[in-house]
Amino acid sequence: MKCSRKKRTAVLFITICLVMTVLTSCQLKQMEAGSDNSKINVAVIAKSTTSQYWKTTFAGANAASAEYNLDITFEGPYNEEDYETQNKMIRAAVENGVDAIVFSAVDYNANAEAIDEAVGAGVKVVVIDSDVNSDLVGCRISTDNYKAGQMVGEAVLAGEEESLKVGIVNFDKNSENGQQRERGFRDYVADNERVTIISSINVNSTTAEAKAGTIRMLKENPGINIIVTFNEWTSLGVGYAVQELGLADEVRVVAFDSNVVSVGMLETGEVDALIVQNPYAMGYLGVEYAWMMTNGEKLKETDIDTTTTLITRDNMYESDNQKVLFPFD
Amino acid sequence: MKNNKTFRNNIRDRRISLSSVMTCMVACIVLVACIIGVVIFTSFYENSVEQNAITNSDQVVSQVENMVTNYTKDMSNIMEMVRVNMDKTEDERNDFFQNLIHIREDVEAITVHNEEGELIAYWSNESETVLKHPRYNNLSYTKLEDDGLYISAPHVQNLFKNYYPWVVTFSQKMQIEEDEVIQVSMDIRFSNIADYVDAVGIGTHGYCYIADKDGNIVYHPQQQLIYAGLKKEQSDNIREYKDGTHTLNGVIYTIHSLKNCDWRIIGVSYVDEQIGAKVSGMIRAVLFVAVMVILATVLAGALLAKTFSRPAKELASAMSRFVKEAESFEFYPVKGTEEIEVLSDSFGHMVLQIQELMEKVRNEEITLRKTELNALQAQINPHFLYNTLDSIAWMCEVGRTDEAIEMVNALARLFRISISRGHELITVEQELKHAECYLKIQKFRYKSQFTYEFKVEESCMGYLCNKITLQPLIENAIVHGLDMSEKGEILIEVYEQGQDIIMKVCDNGVGMTQTQCEEILQKDSHHNNGIGIKNVNDRVKIYFGEQYGVTISSELDEGTKVEICMPKILEEDYEM
Repeated sequence: MKCSRKKRTAVLFITICLVMTVLTSCQLKQMEAGSDNSKINVAVIAKSTTSQYWKTTFAGANAASAEYNLDITFEGPYNEEDYETQNKMIRAAVENGVDAIVFSAVDYNANAEAIDEAVGAGVKVVVIDSDVNSDLVGCRISTDNYKAGQMVGEAVLAGEEESLKVGIVNFDKNSENGQQRERGFRDYVADNERVTIISSINVNSTTAEAKAGTIRMLKENPGINIIVTFNEWTSLGVGYAVQELGLADEVRVVAFDSNVVSVGMLETGEVDALIVQNPYAMGYLGVEYAWMMTNGEKLKETDIDTTTTLITRDNMYESDNQKVLFPFD
Repeated sequence: MKNNKTFRNNIRDRRISLSSVMTCMVACIVLVACIIGVVIFTSFYENSVEQNAITNSDQVVSQVENMVTNYTKDMSNIMEMVRVNMDKTEDERNDFFQNLIHIREDVEAITVHNEEGELIAYWSNESETVLKHPRYNNLSYTKLEDDGLYISAPHVQNLFKNYYPWVVTFSQKMQIEEDEVIQVSMDIRFSNIADYVDAVGIGTHGYCYIADKDGNIVYHPQQQLIYAGLKKEQSDNIREYKDGTHTLNGVIYTIHSLKNCDWRIIGVSYVDEQIGAKVSGMIRAVLFVAVMVILATVLAGALLAKTFSRPAKELASAMSRFVKEAESFEFYPVKGTEEIEVLSDSFGHMVLQIQELMEKVRNEEITLRKTELNALQAQINPHFLYNTLDSIAWMCEVGRTDEAIEMVNALARLFRISISRGHELITVEQELKHAECYLKIQKFRYKSQFTYEFKVEESCMGYLCNKITLQPLIENAIVHGLDMSEKGEILIEVYEQGQDIIMKVCDNGVGMTQTQCEEILQKDSHHNNGIGIKNVNDRVKIYFGEQYGVTISSELDEGTKVEICMPKILEEDYEM
C-alpha cells in the first residue's frame, strides 16, 4: 500500500515534469517562430495576363499580398477562351500546395470541375471578375455585371438620336460575366421604343477578331448608329473598326474598361463612353479574402460587388474620374 | 455521546486540509500577482511604447518634411533657372530646356503660355507624341513660397496622345518684357518624392503621406488603394488638427506643415499594432508562468500533503484509536517532517507511559486484593489460635485462672481490632493495642523469654495507619530475631518525623545479613503462616505511595530494626 502510493506519486511527479517541459518548449517555439515558416501561398489565375485590366488587377493583388505578407503568383492563359489551360493551371497550383486560389473563369461550366477538385483538396477559392459554376467557391468578388450592363443601356439612351440602331459586339458566349452584362443591357433597353437591336455578334476576345467582326457587322448593317461592347479587347477592336471606317462621328460606341488606347479614343471620338470597372479593388479584395479564408476567419459577405463608373468625354478629367480611369503607378 | 458524535461529524465535513489551503492560497497569490504585474507592466509598457511611437513618428515625419522641403526648394531653383533662361535667345533656351528635361528624368514637360492662355512653347521627352490641348484644364494650385511659384495637386497630364502620366505641376508667372507676362509650367512626375515616401515606414504598418491644407491627398504610398476606394484617410479630422501629434482611435497622427508651402506631411502609425502583439505575447507568457506556478503549487501541495498533512491525519487517527482502545493499541511511528516526527515520537512515548501506568494500576489492584485477602486470612491464623487456645486450656487446668482470663481477653481484643469492621486503616492507638495484645499472648506462650517496651509519642495516637502492621514485625522479631538462649528485648517506638510517622520495632536478637533483609521484603512468607513483612510493605505502599513503606536495618548478633514510614493522616481527613 505504502509502496504503491509512493510509486503513484513518483509517476504523477514525472508526468507533471514532462507536461511542463513540453509546454515550455512549445511556448518557446511559438515565441521564436514568427509567421515566416508558414507563409501563405496564393495563386491568382486570371483570364489573361496582357490586358490593362488584368495588369491593374495584379497590381491590386500585389498590394494585398505585400500588406498581408503572402507569397503570390500570377498566371493566365494566352487567349481568353482557353479554359483547358486554366484548368491545368488550377491543378498545378493545387499540386504545388497553394493555400488559396483567386480565380477568374474563362468558361462558366468548363472550369467548374477543376475548381471543385481544388476545393476538395482543401484549397480556398475566391472568384473574381467572372464566375464559375461551382457551389464550393468561398467568396465571389466582381462587378455587378448585370448592373454594368444596365449602365451601358443608360449611356446608350443618354444620346440625342431619335432612333437608336444598336449593334452588340460581345465576347465568348461561355464567359458568364459577358452574358450577364449583355442581359443587363438588353433588359434595360427592351421597353424603349427608340432602341432597335439590329445585330449581335460574339467574337473571340482579341482586338483583331473584334475589329474584323465589327467591320463586317457595320458593312452588313449600315444603319447602325450605336455599338455596345463588353470588355477591354472588344472595346479596342470596335474602336479600331470605327476608326478604320471613319465613322467616329456617325457611330456612337459605348465600351468597357480603361486602356490607354481606349482612353485616347475617348478623347479623339471613336469611343464615346466607357464603363470602367475597379480591377485594382478586385485584385486587392480577392487576395485579402483569400487570406481571411485561409486564416479561418468568418467572412461577413460572400458576394462582393466592386464599383463601376460611367466615363464620358466630358467628365473624364474630373478629379474622381481621373483616379478611376488612369491607373496610378 | 450521540450529540458529541454528530458534532464531530460536522467538524469533519467542514475540514479543509492544510495542503489544499496552501495550494489555493499560493494559486490566488500568484494569480493576483500576475494580474497586477501584467496591469502595471502593460500600462508602463504601453506608455513607453506610445511615447516611443510618437517620437519615432515625429522623427520620421521630420525627415520627410526636410526631404520634401528640399525638393520644393530644388524645384523653385529650377524655376529660377527657367526664369533666367527665358531672357536668353531661343537657341540657348531650347538647348537649356532640352538638357534640363534630359537630365531631370522626373520632369515630364515644360510648357509656356501667354496671358490669354495660349501655348507659346513646350519641351518634352515624349518627342514622338503629339500635343493635343493648348492648355490645361483648371488645376487647383497651392502657393509655394512668396516668389509667385505655385504647385498643383496630382493630376493626369493629358498633353500627349495615349500618354497619361500622373504629375504635379509647378507654375510661375514671369515678366519677360515690359508688358508681356507668361506662365511657365513644369510637370513633374512625383517619383522622387514618391520613392522616398514609399520607403518610409513607421512601425510595421505605419506610413507617411502628403496632403494639402484642405486635407486633399498630394501623395500617398497607398494612393492606388485610395483611388480604388479601398482605403480612406481621416482627412476631415486631420484638416482640423494643428501641427504636432494626435491620437485618434488608436492611430497616431503626426503632422508637420512645410515651411515654404501649404503642404503638410502626415505620419500615420498604429499604437495597437505596436503594443498589442507584444502585450498579448507577454500576457501569454505570464499566463504560462502562472499555470506553471499553479502546477508547481499543486505539486508542492501534494508534497506537503505527503510529508505533513497525511502524517498529521495518520497521527490524529492513531490518537483517536488510542482513545477508543487504549490497552490493545499498538503505535507505529509516523514518518514525515521533523515536527511530525517529534510529535509522533512524543505521542509514542506517551502511549507507552500510559500503557505502563495502566498496567501498573491494574497490577496494584490485583496485589491489593491479594494482600488484603492474605491479611484477612492471617487474622485467623489457625496455628496461632490453636496454640493460644492450648495455652489457655492448659492454664485453666493448672488453675491459673487469672492468667487464663487475661489471655482470653487479649485474644478477644486482638481479633476485634484485627477485624475492625472491615476497615483497612485504624488509628495508631488501636494498632498499638493490637500489638500489645499479641505481645501479651506470646509472652505467656514463650514463658517470658523476652521483655517488651513501648515508646510512643502521645501526639501520634490519633493518626491513621494500616491495620496489622506492627504485629507481623513483632512476630518476625519473636520467631526469627530472638535468641532463645538469652533474654530478648523488643522495643516498639512510634514517633513523628516531619510530616511522617515512624513506627519502629527493634530487637536485640541474632540479626540478619543484608540479603536476608532484602529477601524478607520481596518474598511472600506463606510458609510462615502469618502476614509477611512484605505484605505490610505492599499495603503501605499501595495506600500511601512508593516513598513510604518498610525499611529493615540489621546487624548480625546485634539485632534488627524494622521501620514503617507512613504519612500523617487524621481520621477526619481520610474518607473511606
